[in-house]
Amino acid sequence: MSHYKIIFAGPVGAGKTTAVTAASDIPPVRTDTAASDEVRDIKPQTTVALDYGAMKLGDGSTIHLYGTPGQERFDFMWEILTEGGIALVLLIDNSRGDPLKQLRFYLGAFSGFIRKTAVAVGVTHMDLQSSPSLADYQAELDRAGQPGVPVFEVDARSRRDVCLLIEAVLSVIDPVARA
Amino acid sequence: MMTAHNTLRLCHSGMDKRSLYAFELFLSRVGPNACQISDEESADVAFIDLDNELGPYLLEGHRLLYPARPLIVSARRPLTGKHPLTLEITKPVGLSAFSAALEQVRQLLPAGEASAPAAPAEPALPAAPPALDSRQPSADPISLLRQIEERLSTFYVGSMPDVDLDDLAARSAIYYTPEHFLQGVIARAIAHAREIQRPVRIDDPNGAALYLDPRSGLAYQARSANALRALAQLPTRGTVSLHRVETHDTPALESLAGRPFEALEWDIALWASRGRVPVGTHLDHPVRLLAWPNLTRLAVPPEAMRIAGLWSKGGISLRDTVRLLGVPQRYVFAFYSACLALGHVEQLSTPGAVAVARHNALAVGTAEAAAPPMRGLFKRILGKLLGARLGEAAAS
Repeated sequence: MSHYKIIFAGPVGAGKTTAVTAASDIPPVRTDTAASDEVRDIKPQTTVALDYGAMKLGDGSTIHLYGTPGQERFDFMWEILTEGGIALVLLIDNSRGDPLKQLRFYLGAFSGFIRKTAVAVGVTHMDLQSSPSLADYQAELDRAGQPGVPVFEVDARSRRDVCLLIEAVLSVIDPVARA
Repeated sequence: MMTAHNTLRLCHSGMDKRSLYAFELFLSRVGPNACQISDEESADVAFIDLDNELGPYLLEGHRLLYPARPLIVSARRPLTGKHPLTLEITKPVGLSAFSAALEQVRQLLPAGEASAPAAPAEPALPAAPPALDSRQPSADPISLLRQIEERLSTFYVGSMPDVDLDDLAARSAIYYTPEHFLQGVIARAIAHAREIQRPVRIDDPNGAALYLDPRSGLAYQARSANALRALAQLPTRGTVSLHRVETHDTPALESLAGRPFEALEWDIALWASRGRVPVGTHLDHPVRLLAWPNLTRLAVPPEAMRIAGLWSKGGISLRDTVRLLGVPQRYVFAFYSACLALGHVEQLSTPGAVAVARHNALAVGTAEAAAPPMRGLFKRILGKLLGARLGEAAAS
């Protein structure tokens, strides 16, 4: 049986676990553990393997939602998790570090997967830090040779926001498909 | 409005056949001539089960589409917000409560048209009738969602029918001049406010309608959404004026909630467009999507995602967009007009770009004919997502 997956990636604290939880129809499976390194300054718990959620479709089938661990030392998991994935949702925290550098890093890390599928970018915590703007993200994507990528401001707790991101990335892959 | 027998015409939304049958049985016990089921357009009152998955969405939809129509809503718990035209019945719904609600509806309708029929004798209260049981799934939820979205779409994109784009006379109907509408006034006002770095005020014939503050980038509207829409849909013909905000405006400004310029300009452009495109737009020149509009924070017009998804693939003309997606022209034209107002699209006019657009259209058309293997899956996911986002939008 086919195993269809949508992948949520991005740096620590960007809201991947929250987004998977918001979109999932089942209580998500989380592999959080107490943070023991510099992550502890950002949040007390962090994902070490994956987050898992699922969307139940009307015909009884399931779309699996996977959140990747944010820490780069777990990057060996990223390739495993993207195997068989149909789309990438990339979440970037606008309030910490250098968000555009993070964007460049993740576009590069998932470039093979993006080439085969598509990506949508959700920018979180814009209420805390409005700069860089969505236009800055768009310019960065253009520079990276990725024009036409959907970039939305999102609240990872909002099911509507997360669903719109997923809808956008699927519309890029196949705009003719209609509900 | 009401019939000669003062029978209220009542429409319902979201019931499957089984629920409707049970609901009609329930109505037959309310009393002869008390009310009859009617279509949505001609109804005096609408009945909505708020515990239905789509209940809150239907409620908001009715309020938008028929702002003067009374509504009867049933729910297990009392509503948090009160609305002058919304009558609430807590479940289980009894005959006396429903009859009382109908009587209240008569009072809300224009005077002289209602005379209440005799109230029915109160029978033993039945359990909530099956029609009001939210656990029953509707017959085809995706189809229902699409119908609702299409009806609601008139709020933003109007209802202009498709025209023959090859008929020059008919084609004139698809163009409008933004500068002649509130859209143009707001664009000028924002540019002026930014230039002088001071808030400005736009007055309509009834006084202050909008305040625009360039320092915060926020717009403050002193008119309801419906009033603003009405103002935006017609040419201004000199009825609105632009002023600097003075000290005496401050109290009024402080009592209003602000929202980003972008959100105001987006709505106003959709309303002014009503499914048309600005004069000078070429139907066969490719559209280049410079950036996706921030659709999590803006109104999402019908089929906006698919249209933007198609344009993100490279230059596709407006004519080909309509054809490839199989959607009404007004959906594409309204979305284009709103994107243009925010600077998210441009048209390319070089011969090379036009040729590439034709090539792209053919490529997508071929993909459409071939129906990629994932399309069936995508359709099911999109149906799920549509329900999820509409449900949360209504709840919020």
